[in-house]
Amino acid sequence: MKLLKLFRAFTEGMRNFSRNKWLAFATVSVLTLALYVVSATVFLGLTGRMIVDKIEDNIDINVYLNPDVSEENALETKVLLESTMEVESVTYVSNDTALEKFLSDSSGDPSILEAVEEIGENPLLSYLIVHASDSRYYESIAQTLESERFKNQISHINYGKNKEKIERLNRITSSVERVGLIIGIIFVVISVLITFNTIRLSMYSRQKEFEVMRLVGASNMYVRMPSIFEGIFYGTISSFIAIVLIFVSAQSITPLMKGIATEGMLMGFYWQYFWLMLLGILVFGVFIGVVSSFIAIRRYLKI
Amino acid sequence: MSKKVGVPILKFNKVNKVYSEDFLALRDINLEIMPGEFVSIVGRSGAGKSSLLKLIYAEEKPTTGELYFNGEDVSLIKRKNLPYFRRNIGNVFQDFKLLPHKTVFENVSYALEVAGKSNEEIEEEIPEVLTLVNLSSKADKYPNQLSGGEQQRVSIARALVHNPVLIVADEPTGNLDPSSSIEIVELLLRINELGTTIILATHDRDIVNKVAKRVITLDGGKIVSDKTNGKYLI
Repeated sequence: MKLLKLFRAFTEGMRNFSRNKWLAFATVSVLTLALYVVSATVFLGLTGRMIVDKIEDNIDINVYLNPDVSEENALETKVLLESTMEVESVTYVSNDTALEKFLSDSSGDPSILEAVEEIGENPLLSYLIVHASDSRYYESIAQTLESERFKNQISHINYGKNKEKIERLNRITSSVERVGLIIGIIFVVISVLITFNTIRLSMYSRQKEFEVMRLVGASNMYVRMPSIFEGIFYGTISSFIAIVLIFVSAQSITPLMKGIATEGMLMGFYWQYFWLMLLGILVFGVFIGVVSSFIAIRRYLKI
Repeated sequence: MSKKVGVPILKFNKVNKVYSEDFLALRDINLEIMPGEFVSIVGRSGAGKSSLLKLIYAEEKPTTGELYFNGEDVSLIKRKNLPYFRRNIGNVFQDFKLLPHKTVFENVSYALEVAGKSNEEIEEEIPEVLTLVNLSSKADKYPNQLSGGEQQRVSIARALVHNPVLIVADEPTGNLDPSSSIEIVELLLRINELGTTIILATHDRDIVNKVAKRVITLDGGKIVSDKTNGKYLI
């Protein structure tokens, strides 16, 4: 009997949904928009985070060693640095490798080759490339390197050049995250309110029916069930439309992100998190739909 | 009063209904209605007829006093049990209160669906009821495709389908022309003959005189007369 009632409520919900096409359209549109805005904010936030991570990966400190430091000592310093918490990795580049790289970069420019030959010995210094685990740590890493322990091995550090870049990036990242969070919350609140109101309107237009249902002996739950199914339909349909819209937006902003993100990164991200995103939107959408229906119908069930 | 013996189907004991301080809808109602009776409740608009009926199907509760249905105090019924209680009573309203998006068949079957009846039972019972109200040929029509009299017969069919012990009709002919009104009253009389108690609220003199059964007259929320084989007084 329970199953029979549930099935009846389901078909009733379906009929309500398809009967009131305009209202269903309005509700689905609003809910879709809400889900889209919220998930787009989250999606862009995550993408932004990823881009920042990428840029951060490209930041490093080059530590130039004095010419009298042997390779053995250099490697010892490397290991020492790697053992500190703030450092993610250290790469050792010997002066020979540096020269090779320099020559290949200048791609056989005869005047450069000549100049190097003129000097007779390798004019370049060996250096360590230090990657921090977070861009905030460069400051303290630089301080460590300037301490007594390393001072006599090190010729110079090019941190100064990167310093401004790093600080600016840090500022931008944290403010983008804060603003994104605030905008996201505002949108969530607004969209929940609008969706709730639209569903309330649709319940309001049927208040006479609820009264009749109650008077012929329908229990509150029985009157309510079709509307809850309606809420589920609203949520499900809106979620699917929203995820398609995000796909379209991700695809259309990809060309605008040239230089910031690599080609296909955004779409790759989309497909990587597709199921998680769909599930999240679906749960959120159905939740708003059901809760709105549940609350909106309550006032008509007090007979 | 009634000459029948046994437990009254309805018993009002010193019932008062106050909506607001300066509006007393019902004053000191003492009344017994026995099973199988056909009772007309008459009075002007605002005399308290509707208030009296709302108390019966528990849409309102008495402010003071008690109301018993088959010996059970109605005001003690828990809210969640009201739907089950209401299935004992068939309601007929002036404005029919049909579900506009359901056919005649579906409107009647809805009352059975809410009670959890199986599809087989529904398929079996609805045609019987529709035959009784003479609407078998219109089962697939929607309310707006029917005349007022036909719509009211649908609502009577819906009220009947639970086999209720009591049918409460609040101005069932209020929106109908005289010949449709007569039809409805004859239908109610026929149902009464089959054993169902009927309470009919109306201010239509012709109807009351045609029924010529027990008549209770209300005025200003008070019972001013209660006569078997009564006539319309006011």
